[in-house]
Amino acid sequence: MNIKTTRIVSLVLRYLILAAIIVFLLFPIYWMLATSFKTNMEAYQYPPTFFPEEVSFSSYLSLFTQNNQFFVYYVNNFIVSGITALVCTLVAIITGYAIARFNIKWTVLVASLLVFTQMFPIVSRMISLYGLMSDMGLINTRTGLVLAISAAQIPFCATLMSSFFRNVPKEIEEAAYVDGAGRNRILFSVITPLVKPGMLAVGIYAFLQTWDDYLHAATLIQNDNLRTLSIGIALRYLGELSYDWSLINAISVIGTIPMVLVFFFFQKYMVKGLVAGAVKG
Amino acid sequence: MRKVLALLAIVLVVTSSLFAGGSAESTAPASAENPLTIKVANYALLESGYEDFWNGVKEGFEAQYPQYKIEWVTAPYGEILNQVINMAGGGDRVDVIFGEEAWVPQLYASGLAAPITDIIDADFVADFDPAVMDVFTIDGGIYGIPLYVSPFILYYNTELFEQAGLDPANPPKTYDELLDAAEKLSQLTDTNGNKIYPFGQTTASVVVSGNALISMIYNFGGDVFTEDGQLNVDNDGFHQAFEMLATLDDLGYNPQNAKLKDLRNLFALGQLAMYYDQSWGFNGVTSINPDAASFTASAAPLAGGDGTGEAVLCAHCFILVDNGDAKNEAVNAFVQYVISEEVLNDYMANVTPAYPAKNSMADMTAVAESGVLKGASSSISNVKKVPYVSAMSDIALDLCTLAQAVTVSNTPVDEAIDAFVRSASTKL
Amino acid sequence: MKSLSKKKGDMYYAMALTIPAVILALFFIFIPIIDSVIKSFQDYKVRNIIANLPGEWNNFDNYKKIFQSGALPNAIVNTFSFVILVIICQFVLGMALALVLNSNVRCARFFRSIMMTPWVVPTVISALIWMWLFQPQYGLFKYLVSVFTGGSVADFAMLNNPSTALLGVSIAALWKQIPLMTLLLLAGLQNVPTDILEAATIDGAGSVRKFFKITVPYLSPVIKVSISMSIIENFKQFPLFWTMTGGGPDGATTNLAILSYREAFVSMNMGSGAAVTTIWMALMIVTIGVYNKLFRTQDLT
Repeated sequence: MNIKTTRIVSLVLRYLILAAIIVFLLFPIYWMLATSFKTNMEAYQYPPTFFPEEVSFSSYLSLFTQNNQFFVYYVNNFIVSGITALVCTLVAIITGYAIARFNIKWTVLVASLLVFTQMFPIVSRMISLYGLMSDMGLINTRTGLVLAISAAQIPFCATLMSSFFRNVPKEIEEAAYVDGAGRNRILFSVITPLVKPGMLAVGIYAFLQTWDDYLHAATLIQNDNLRTLSIGIALRYLGELSYDWSLINAISVIGTIPMVLVFFFFQKYMVKGLVAGAVKG
Repeated sequence: MRKVLALLAIVLVVTSSLFAGGSAESTAPASAENPLTIKVANYALLESGYEDFWNGVKEGFEAQYPQYKIEWVTAPYGEILNQVINMAGGGDRVDVIFGEEAWVPQLYASGLAAPITDIIDADFVADFDPAVMDVFTIDGGIYGIPLYVSPFILYYNTELFEQAGLDPANPPKTYDELLDAAEKLSQLTDTNGNKIYPFGQTTASVVVSGNALISMIYNFGGDVFTEDGQLNVDNDGFHQAFEMLATLDDLGYNPQNAKLKDLRNLFALGQLAMYYDQSWGFNGVTSINPDAASFTASAAPLAGGDGTGEAVLCAHCFILVDNGDAKNEAVNAFVQYVISEEVLNDYMANVTPAYPAKNSMADMTAVAESGVLKGASSSISNVKKVPYVSAMSDIALDLCTLAQAVTVSNTPVDEAIDAFVRSASTKL
Repeated sequence: MKSLSKKKGDMYYAMALTIPAVILALFFIFIPIIDSVIKSFQDYKVRNIIANLPGEWNNFDNYKKIFQSGALPNAIVNTFSFVILVIICQFVLGMALALVLNSNVRCARFFRSIMMTPWVVPTVISALIWMWLFQPQYGLFKYLVSVFTGGSVADFAMLNNPSTALLGVSIAALWKQIPLMTLLLLAGLQNVPTDILEAATIDGAGSVRKFFKITVPYLSPVIKVSISMSIIENFKQFPLFWTMTGGGPDGATTNLAILSYREAFVSMNMGSGAAVTTIWMALMIVTIGVYNKLFRTQDLT
């Protein structure tokens, strides 16, 4: 009897905790969706309506027709995030491999430096980065933005990648070496195919992080046609003139969808990769 | 081997012609075939209310002057100064900055702003109201040329005034009258039963709020700086202004920590009866509620204490950069093209209600027929100049912090002012 | 002989492989940081940028100013309060959710998947979502508070009140960060050997005892890594604050990131901005160092 009650209590408690936290995590998403389908006058109603009284697509229409600079930011964000993800994955592969396989002073030093760099706040770099990059002619270019963001992502990506390389048995390499394969062939044709899940995890991680970038683009890009999403939204749609909350929520919805899709599509790899990196790395 | 030589020769010819082309461009006079491009930094292109106007300006200007082209440099309102300065640091100086009078000190201090009299025709400059030009004068030089001006004026909602039993033709003139009117207005609720705020003064941490606060201090006859730009806050007006803010806050009359755009939203929705704004803030009001013109009226800033309701004059202006004679000529043409009745009339009638600064534009139809601006038109002559302070934007933000301290934090006024002095004096 | 040359070859090869990462880190991270530390001791303002003038040594003036104006101590307190509050709540809630999802509740896989959504919402957008929920006049939060307090608190404005603004930003941070914490802890929980837990149950150990004596020790490497990731992230947090409050009201949410950005890019005083970031970096390194040390000694006992 007593045991049974405790079991029921613990079960109820479990579902209560689950429900409370899940509501906390998901309700704001619902609220964003709901607001985006309200008219501005309804959005500004108090007490608020929990379902849009009249479902209005006007914010989406205005987003697609009048305020379509948004899509320039959107496309830019895809380009920058995609290229950055590629660069990061590539550099992470070679760096991660070097760290995982060659236990010499140099790689140990590099590995600890990479961990160290993750601690530096972006603002502290931005104060000087602008001047340095303009000397190199990299201001207002996608190349510059991609390089700067990649530099910030690579430390984590390389560390993550190295944990995947560590899981590849050393014997495979040694066998290939005995067969007379060169170092490049061993790395790119023998070992790298074995860490495909790691590559995916790193690539998606870098993509998600770059999609979220704010400060790099804020400082390094001044041409409105090169701006990326976060900064574009903050700058253009949070102007000084007025708020348009329905539109802002519609933008939020559109800005979030690709990430949700990417995540759910590659969930398996992401989760495995991050867990492997954080738990074992 | 011969092939290689030929290739080398081609490369040489091509590169040298490129260089030749480069140098030719800088010496030949600008023409329709070889137009000269001027760079105009303009945040307004990113604000939906203003975009169409500026695109029209570019089109019209380039049609009238085929030898010139405009290249916009855009950044949001809050970032454009950074951008212009950073670009200049990289050797890329814009030619014109569209901005506000409050930006002049910083651009002057940075060495970017050039005296407009070096670039613009003297007879064009002479047509501007000297009192307005005084706002742009630092050390004898004029460092900005206004498109139009406005003090912080009082917008009020005539419908709410009627509902509260107040005379919509007789808005308050002093802060004491404001408190009386506010008491009646605060009894009202809107159709949803929501609270209606009687009065709005912006206090959020943005530079323009700091300017609005200085304007309020001037309303009370107070001062913030001495003539030579030192801190000067030991005067009644300064204290009274912040005591008034604290009182308004205690009574729940003023929306807390609001930006101007928050106030515009509330006003547009009929939840704010009066508020201080630059005249062009009305553009933000109509972007939320297109019918706002039917209940909006304006009045001169309130007088408080021993003050006469003096205010800070705001302006949208061009700040010019000297990039050599050829560019200056183009800038001269551009400025004179924009600041004209033909270009500005529709804009000032429909988008940005404001008062012209140029004498010959004083009677333009946009102003003569503006119902929204009529009430406050006398205030334009009752303005006071803010002395030149290079760290102006810093101090403006400190003033916002002071206003927040006496309102949301409920810090006693004297204590808050002491903290303000401590922080501000390290910046002067 | 051959193996010696292979070793040498390996060494050169490893060095070559790391070159791209090292060059990127050097140019985009280390040089800017050293440069900004140098600037923090100089009078370096807008004029220097425009005229390309080098800064001038100014005898610790930047540091003196930020201390005297009271801005720095306030920012340090805010930074630490935010980091500590977020990490404690995040850990407790993340652990609770992970434990529930690891027990045999229905649809655990489904919940694990959908709970990750906030994590992929871009930071600026999550700031906007919460600003809208906290909106002082029409916000949902104001309504809920007034309903739950029976109308006695009718004017709740989370982000406008200096005593609750930091909490408001923390809630937005928690919302975005709990999912990853849960995911990592959940992965760790799945590594706890079930046979040991079962053996303990047979020995009559209560679930609280099992949790602290078996689960936590097995989890400790995961906990250590995930918390240190979280410390770094929240110590550096900028976009959330900048979008939601801009550091206000009355400085209540000015953390070190906001202060340095404001000094450097709003007030255009690179020197004092750099002074803030220098102190910030030093604090960060010390904090992580202390954290690692504490956790290591705990591991041993």
